Amino acid sequence: MQHLDPDRLVLLALSEEREELTEADHLTHCTSCQQELRSLRDVATVGAEVQDLRDLPAPPEHIWQGIAAGIADSPPDAPVSVAPAVALAGPRRRRDRSRWLTPVLAAAAAAIVAVAGTVAVERFTGRAPGEQVTARATLSPLATVPASAGGYVQVLADGQVSIDVRNLPLTTGFHEVWLLDPDDLTKMVALGNLPDTPKAVLPLPPGTDLNRYRLVDVSDEPHDGDAAHSGNSLLRGTLTK
Amino acid sequence: MSSDDELAGRLRAGDQAALRVAYERHGAAVLYLAQRLLGNRADAEDVTQLTFVAAWTGRDGFDPQRGTMLGWLLGIARRKAVDRLRSAAREERKAETVAAHPATPVEDTPERIVDRLVVADELERLPEEQRRTLELAFFDDLTHPQIAAVTGLPLGTVKSHIRRGMANLRRRWEVDGAALGSRSAGPSRAL
Repeated sequence: MQHLDPDRLVLLALSEEREELTEADHLTHCTSCQQELRSLRDVATVGAEVQDLRDLPAPPEHIWQGIAAGIADSPPDAPVSVAPAVALAGPRRRRDRSRWLTPVLAAAAAAIVAVAGTVAVERFTGRAPGEQVTARATLSPLATVPASAGGYVQVLADGQVSIDVRNLPLTTGFHEVWLLDPDDLTKMVALGNLPDTPKAVLPLPPGTDLNRYRLVDVSDEPHDGDAAHSGNSLLRGTLTK
Repeated sequence: MSSDDELAGRLRAGDQAALRVAYERHGAAVLYLAQRLLGNRADAEDVTQLTFVAAWTGRDGFDPQRGTMLGWLLGIARRKAVDRLRSAAREERKAETVAAHPATPVEDTPERIVDRLVVADELERLPEEQRRTLELAFFDDLTHPQIAAVTGLPLGTVKSHIRRGMANLRRRWEVDGAALGSRSAGPSRAL
């Protein structure tokens, strides 16, 4: 007998009609038709399961912000490394800063890009009158940090820096705030430690050049008596006027 | 709507806007897969983020001749999710806790979920009438004559839409699906 007609196979695969005796007989002998039928049945089975997948909800924007922070300036042929901050957690030696600062550079640039758009919007949303803000930054999580983490920084006219953070990963040490020079990440100013409250105000050291030290960085610091940056950055954002 | 080819070209050229397009188009499927595999939203969001960052870093590895962008992204997401499950398992062993993992039913294996996402995506790409007739057959379980009655299309047209539609889904599945090794042997016959 001839192979089964393609239309006929579809009807059988959809269980819309039953095999005639002659067809059943052919199917037991013909591996080609068997395979054809099995494969169409698989398509029909999976096809019937996809109804709920038709209109999946759009993924939230904060995931994209994490991605944007993770991708900027990464060279195309770099090894697949999505966690620049992890590489930084090596041995801590003050003079060795340059070793971890190179990978940080890419992440820092990423944060700038990620934040630029947000800042542009927030500049026009206005703040309470009387609270004179001279610069501000939105902090985005680096790639290793949960995407829900973030923060907002304002430099006030009286030399105080107000910082709000949310959803920072738990630490066995403490969180420290820094101002980095994005053009030379070995240069930085330590602003101080974050208390357990979501909002903190830290004094800006007098004379700090915010045009240079414009990259705000929140790091996870262990209690090891080493005052240098641990290399384990959690949030970044660039100050703009 | 730009094709995968064009997107791949823009990605390779280092155009971040192309990654954004890919995210808007396929981010939901990646997040869905991760959530199904990992079972919690926070980890799923993390894996989604890792997936697109890895896609960017490894963008030279995407070849539109070998599969679609969605298939490629789901492959990365699957590996990332499995890595995470493994490291979570290691953590559990470290803590000497024994968690009972319920056996995964076959319809919820990672491969099957990927297959579904791929087929759902292809269904969206089919010509309107092909898609509509297949939806009536798959989701509403209507017979060919019933579909002809509902749509007003001649029975012969319904037949050919369904046959071609299923052939399209199958071709796409053969290109991008995860569970094919065990399923289809040999090239598909022209339908």
